[in-house]
Amino acid sequence: MTDSAILQRGLQQPGWQMDRFIVATALAGFALLGGLIWLETAPFMVALFVIGTVLGIALYHGAFGFTAGWRNLVVKKRGAGMRAQLMLFGLSSLIMVPMLYSGQAGLVGAVAPVGTSLVVGSFIFGLGMQLGGGCGSGTLFTVGAGNIRMVVTLVFFIAGTVLGSIHLPWWLDQPGFDPVPLVNTFGVSGAIIVQLLGLGLIARWVNRVERKAHGNLERDELLWKGQGHGVFKTLLSGRWPFTWAILILAAGNALTLAISGAPWSITFAFNVWGAKALEMMGVNMSQFEFWTWEYPAMALKDSVLTNAPSVMNFGLLLGAMLAAGLANRFNEASRNRPEGRQFLASVVGGLLLGYGARLGFGCNIGALFSGIASASLHAWIWFACAFAGSLLGIRLRPWFRLPN
Amino acid sequence: MERAYSPARIIVMLGIILVLIMVDHLNSPTFAFNSGQGNVETALSQRDETACAPCGAPCPSTRD
Repeated sequence: MTDSAILQRGLQQPGWQMDRFIVATALAGFALLGGLIWLETAPFMVALFVIGTVLGIALYHGAFGFTAGWRNLVVKKRGAGMRAQLMLFGLSSLIMVPMLYSGQAGLVGAVAPVGTSLVVGSFIFGLGMQLGGGCGSGTLFTVGAGNIRMVVTLVFFIAGTVLGSIHLPWWLDQPGFDPVPLVNTFGVSGAIIVQLLGLGLIARWVNRVERKAHGNLERDELLWKGQGHGVFKTLLSGRWPFTWAILILAAGNALTLAISGAPWSITFAFNVWGAKALEMMGVNMSQFEFWTWEYPAMALKDSVLTNAPSVMNFGLLLGAMLAAGLANRFNEASRNRPEGRQFLASVVGGLLLGYGARLGFGCNIGALFSGIASASLHAWIWFACAFAGSLLGIRLRPWFRLPN
Repeated sequence: MERAYSPARIIVMLGIILVLIMVDHLNSPTFAFNSGQGNVETALSQRDETACAPCGAPCPSTRD
């Protein structure tokens, strides 16, 4: 069957309703903000804004949630989501490690120190993930899709990052050592092989957990076709197979590195937004050491439209909004209003997410995904500690009236 | 199907976010530079390649 025939078949699928108001609003927001970025900054920033938007669509339509993937493995003993994440890390490692170490000037990987700050921060972040209901990307794309509980999580996530930035210098004075790029020890090919072996071992453990509980493996992460729809309809209204999301997310991170010089990150922008809000209220942020360091000081002083993580986050929000509108599911998750303890979980979870992200040098995207794609030891330690924190968070969820 | 949201509230929320972005931008060195003002230091490519972490943190080995 030709591509055009497949597209036509998708268009003729009955019963597809989009939310025209949300789609139009998201597109208007995209045009308005994109135009402003184009006029006031530079073409590469517009490209990052577009990439952020596509990533937002991929996260929403692919339902690519790190938090739910981990929880499904622990609670339901199903590993498709976790295996999809491992495939994403492996693919990105194959693409981005050679890029970073090709000798091209101006490319900086997501490497970070290893020590007390990383261990404590990532553990706290993992705990916050399960209470707040999402990681960095998960919080953003669900907010974009109109989830009210996640708006509360995001507000306190931002507050947590600011608090974390104030305390980070103290944490950095605790035991720790400089970044450990695996390439320095194993070389480029060696680092990729070591990482693929590590990911393979984790996948084996995930498979064993699933087989032991169910006797078989659900191989949803390997599907290439949407369920019961044509390609075109699936592309626009979801749900995407994991493989589509994996390809888009891997390509998006590689393009972000090529265009901005650094891999995809999310939570530093929250830091900047929170600090700017406090400055608007008259707080002098430069009294805190973190905000005297060159990069944070630059980001705080200048426009958010010149800060790559901020611009990509704006795109991500609008992309998720557009995707939710195309799927006619905007604000769907807020039909059942969350009650007291669920809101409390958002407040506590958000603060833990923010504080943990700053101490742990990022979230599932900036520290884990981009960290492994940069072959940095800290990403693996982050992964282990955040998963441990997540286990505790899963145990605490019932008290907050959150379903497991 | 009944809408799960208020369109007016969505417009107001997005409007507030846009206003905040504009206020921040209009008070920035980049806007001043684009308006023809000299002697301002912009930071279009906000990066510190000497930093030890994506957030700009220094290396533990360099801390006293």
